Amino acid sequence: MAALVDTVPAGRSPWHDARQRFLRNRAAVASLVVLALITLACVFGPMLLPNAFDSVDWNLMSAPPTRAGWHLFGTDELGRDLLVRTLIGGRISLMVGLLATVVSTCIGVVWGAVAGFAGGRVDGVMMRIVDMAYAVPYLLIAILVVTVFGRDILLVVGAIAAFSWLDMARVVRGQTLSIKSREFVEAARAIGVPTWRIILQHVVPNLLGVVVIYTSILVPGVILSESVLSFLGLGVQEPMTSWGVLIHDGAAVMGTSPWMILFPAGALSITLYCANFIGDGLRDALDPKER
Amino acid sequence: MWAYVVRRLLVTIPTVLAVVTICYLLLHVTPGGPFDSERKVSEAVLANLQAKYHLDLPLWKQYLLYLNDLLHGDLGASFRYADWSVNDLVARALPVSLVIGGTAMAIAVVLGVGLGILAALRQNSAVDVAVMLLGNIGSVLPSFVLGPVLVLVFAIALPWLPSGGWDDFAPRYMILPIALLTLINMSTIGRIMRGSLIEVLSSNFIRTARAKGLPMRLVVMRHALRPALLPVVSVVGPLAIASITSAIVTESWFSIPGLGKLIVNGASDRDYTLVLGLVVLVTVLAVLLNLIVDLAYAWLDPKIRY
Amino acid sequence: MSLRIVLASLLAIATAFAGAAAIPPGTVLSPRQEMVRNNGAEPESLDPAHTETVNATEIGRDLFEGLTSTDHQGNVVAGVAESWKQVDATTWVFRLRRNAVWSNGQPVTADDFLYGWRRYLDPKTASLSATIYAIYFVNGMDIVAGRKPLADLGAKALDPYTLEVKTPGPVPFLPGVMAAAQLAPQPRATIEKFGKDWTRPGNIVGNGAYVLKDWQVNSKVIVEKNPRYWDAANVQLTRVTFLCVEDSSADLKLYQSGEEDFMETLPPGAYAALKAQYPNEMRNDLLLGIRVYSLNNKDPLLKDVRVRKALSMVIDREVLAGRITADGQVPLYGLAVKGLAGAQPTRYDWADWPMDKRVAEARRLLAEAGVKPGTHLKFVYNNSDYHRKMAIFAASEWKTKLGLETDIDSLEFKVLIRKRHDGDFQIARNGWVFNVNDATILLNLAECDSDFNDDHSCNRAADALIAQAKLLDDPARREALLSQAARMMAEDYPMIPLLQYTAPRLVKPWVGGYGDSGGTDRYRSKDFYILKH
Repeated sequence: MAALVDTVPAGRSPWHDARQRFLRNRAAVASLVVLALITLACVFGPMLLPNAFDSVDWNLMSAPPTRAGWHLFGTDELGRDLLVRTLIGGRISLMVGLLATVVSTCIGVVWGAVAGFAGGRVDGVMMRIVDMAYAVPYLLIAILVVTVFGRDILLVVGAIAAFSWLDMARVVRGQTLSIKSREFVEAARAIGVPTWRIILQHVVPNLLGVVVIYTSILVPGVILSESVLSFLGLGVQEPMTSWGVLIHDGAAVMGTSPWMILFPAGALSITLYCANFIGDGLRDALDPKER
Repeated sequence: MWAYVVRRLLVTIPTVLAVVTICYLLLHVTPGGPFDSERKVSEAVLANLQAKYHLDLPLWKQYLLYLNDLLHGDLGASFRYADWSVNDLVARALPVSLVIGGTAMAIAVVLGVGLGILAALRQNSAVDVAVMLLGNIGSVLPSFVLGPVLVLVFAIALPWLPSGGWDDFAPRYMILPIALLTLINMSTIGRIMRGSLIEVLSSNFIRTARAKGLPMRLVVMRHALRPALLPVVSVVGPLAIASITSAIVTESWFSIPGLGKLIVNGASDRDYTLVLGLVVLVTVLAVLLNLIVDLAYAWLDPKIRY
Repeated sequence: MSLRIVLASLLAIATAFAGAAAIPPGTVLSPRQEMVRNNGAEPESLDPAHTETVNATEIGRDLFEGLTSTDHQGNVVAGVAESWKQVDATTWVFRLRRNAVWSNGQPVTADDFLYGWRRYLDPKTASLSATIYAIYFVNGMDIVAGRKPLADLGAKALDPYTLEVKTPGPVPFLPGVMAAAQLAPQPRATIEKFGKDWTRPGNIVGNGAYVLKDWQVNSKVIVEKNPRYWDAANVQLTRVTFLCVEDSSADLKLYQSGEEDFMETLPPGAYAALKAQYPNEMRNDLLLGIRVYSLNNKDPLLKDVRVRKALSMVIDREVLAGRITADGQVPLYGLAVKGLAGAQPTRYDWADWPMDKRVAEARRLLAEAGVKPGTHLKFVYNNSDYHRKMAIFAASEWKTKLGLETDIDSLEFKVLIRKRHDGDFQIARNGWVFNVNDATILLNLAECDSDFNDDHSCNRAADALIAQAKLLDDPARREALLSQAARMMAEDYPMIPLLQYTAPRLVKPWVGGYGDSGGTDRYRSKDFYILKH
């Protein structure tokens, strides 16, 4: 009797359920671990390795991977160690990826949800603004911003986010249109729940699935946009590098020095695959209808 | 419904106007002009050029002249491609990009949806992981890596296809660029399809249908697919626009004379009229495609009303 | 008439007989005489009055022919003019051949040349390159500036087949100038009939060895042999396709998969590997061009010549040429290049010192000028892997040898050009390839008020010598003065000369007729032929 009374069954919160579901997804968990390792390597690795990322060695240009001198990934065409450069590049790519994704997701979700939910004229105007933003040539703005404000990694983040939120807004708006016409929303409205509460408590949780998926689609796009900008001289500046820049340089010499593209592309691919699996896992875990 | 369509089409005009004005200002504010070249152009020649292209008039006057031409359907003369008008250039590049981008989108939708369905029905199994690994190649490797790999395999190692070039819509030049764009697009579509279908499959009406004993295939095709396609359709719009107007890496790697090349070169060359003309085109395309997408929403989800 | 002029005339007549496609006896030709060649960027125009870049003039010289032409070894040969002579210091007479016709059968006459030149220089045509060739005609510059009417051009037709050209000062290399694509005759009737569309295939009429068959913008230009060309009997290629591929990696792939016979340039860093892979197909001829770092002579840090000299001395050009760029370019230690006519090449005396001695001297100069280690330099270049590599090399040289820190900034191309022209830079990468082989063109880069002087340097004494030399007719005295001016300018260290350009590319072994182009990197399709393979 006492045992039954003492042990009050703990309540199970939806977050607890979500975490459980996520942990059951092996691919997602493995990806989380790998991603964590990669992040740790990028952050702490360069401090532990003997080579600097910008020290040129004219005697060791385009050398294949070797144990000597810790050039485990080989060197680039200026004799700089590729292992350290890949890790340093990872810092930039991960940071830009994270920041730009967070910013564009926030803007996109808010914009899309408001437009979808408000409907009518407001929706019309907001989506026409999105249409207009699509048509403006990205390159031109990037050139202008950098020439006027100088080069700054935060500017890169801003420039990329400024164009990445558009797709998110469209996706969210479409989903909102569908959600708002469902029964539970009608019911909530019928009993007089205020609009903001409806949005927060009913619309947003149902958006989470699509938003999470789309966010994990955004990440590679953002990282690749950064590489294009850097290549055009509008992103990270020499000697600093990023995965996008390393891959772009490596692609040109794929035939003769394959290690130059293999390692950074490998790092990027693994990271993005992990992001994808984590994204899918999160979506599955946060789905309010999963049992 | 038709009133909605007409309203949307009419709104195109102020949209185009607004975009053109913004870009016009941007172009003139960006440092570097169309005639800046390695060799400094002499004052006399510069004066002649500015007179010829009306660049010596005050900005607002030039703007009005441009708008006037625009209303008559004349996009102006290109600075960079001196023998061609912008109308000519766009008329030649648009069909190329439409065919390549459009075909790639169509195939990507079919493949992406198919893969997404497969993965959703076998959620969390090895099949799911395998399908997602395969399907995501396009989003994980940048186009400037996939492109060279495709060429290495199919044009150099196995000499089946040309490694680039264009010859008046000859099919063999179109295969690899379309393949590249398809790979890139189908991963996005596949993932969204998978996620969306999983969500729909656990909703009540599907539960009911299955309880009634309907076979899974029928359940999916007849009941689940339509609502699940909604988010997919949302991304098809922007993906299609990007594939048609900004496939710059694909176009320069495979040497295809499409819109992407014109836009990027136009911006780098500060070819004002060319850039503005392309901006007008992209705006019109974006508006049309988004309209189609919005109409598709209504078809897929009968409760959506405009 | 001086002996000099007689000799020049004889030489002119002799070269006039040089034909096209000099095929060695015993060569077996392929039955299919067609070539596909990558021409780089899309040509801006095929109208001789508007062509400016190499991409456009290369095709232009196949479609139109001027008074003279240059063969695949850069020799000036007869074009529409079968002979020419220099009547006095500033007057030349060109005799046109009677059998030169347009592709529509009409004869090419002196009036066609006059019409073409006037249209080219007409301010209303607003040709971008007008001033480049306007300087060779009396009143040319004034016409471009709108100060004089077209009729005042220093050229006239003595009869339908004889042209007289008057130059403002002696121009001993005028026959070479007349080979330029911009100075070709133009078909008045066609231009007046079709207006802006006259260069479309089907409308266009030219007098060159080829006619325009097809023009797909941003894709390719196809030309076919002109049966009416006066020298058609010696033209082998029946069809030439010019591709417009700008990406060098894509260019290489097209070559490797057999889609093209002739590349435009190589992907950066690929020279050594490709040379090993295709030893018989790699060509790499020296060009009349220089790679330099422009120094802003008005910049507070760089206005002291000692600083400029120090920066120039410590760069190891042998390593730069041998290892960094590693594509056969030649180190440059002065202001003139191998192959340039009209002046002796200059070479800095310290070029042969061991590097240690150079570094010690440079450090001494910097100390004298009051520049301390740790000072920052600002370097700009336009994005490209190739330039970036060179920039990083220079930065590391200046750091390890002089203790100076360099901030390297890559800029978008147009932005860089603006900054260079406006003097809004400290050190910038730069390069020039010369279209005419004469020292005055190169020295123009350092003349005081020259449009081409990005360094904003000025040496009035040297300028005076050049001005004097331009009035001289005697080649020996002219060369002496120009050489002296070149030496004076070099000692001013207005820029840092680094390398002499070469043109590395792959050409299929069955393409015959590829010569060294006399350093101009220009080729006529009529000089090529396809060997049996």
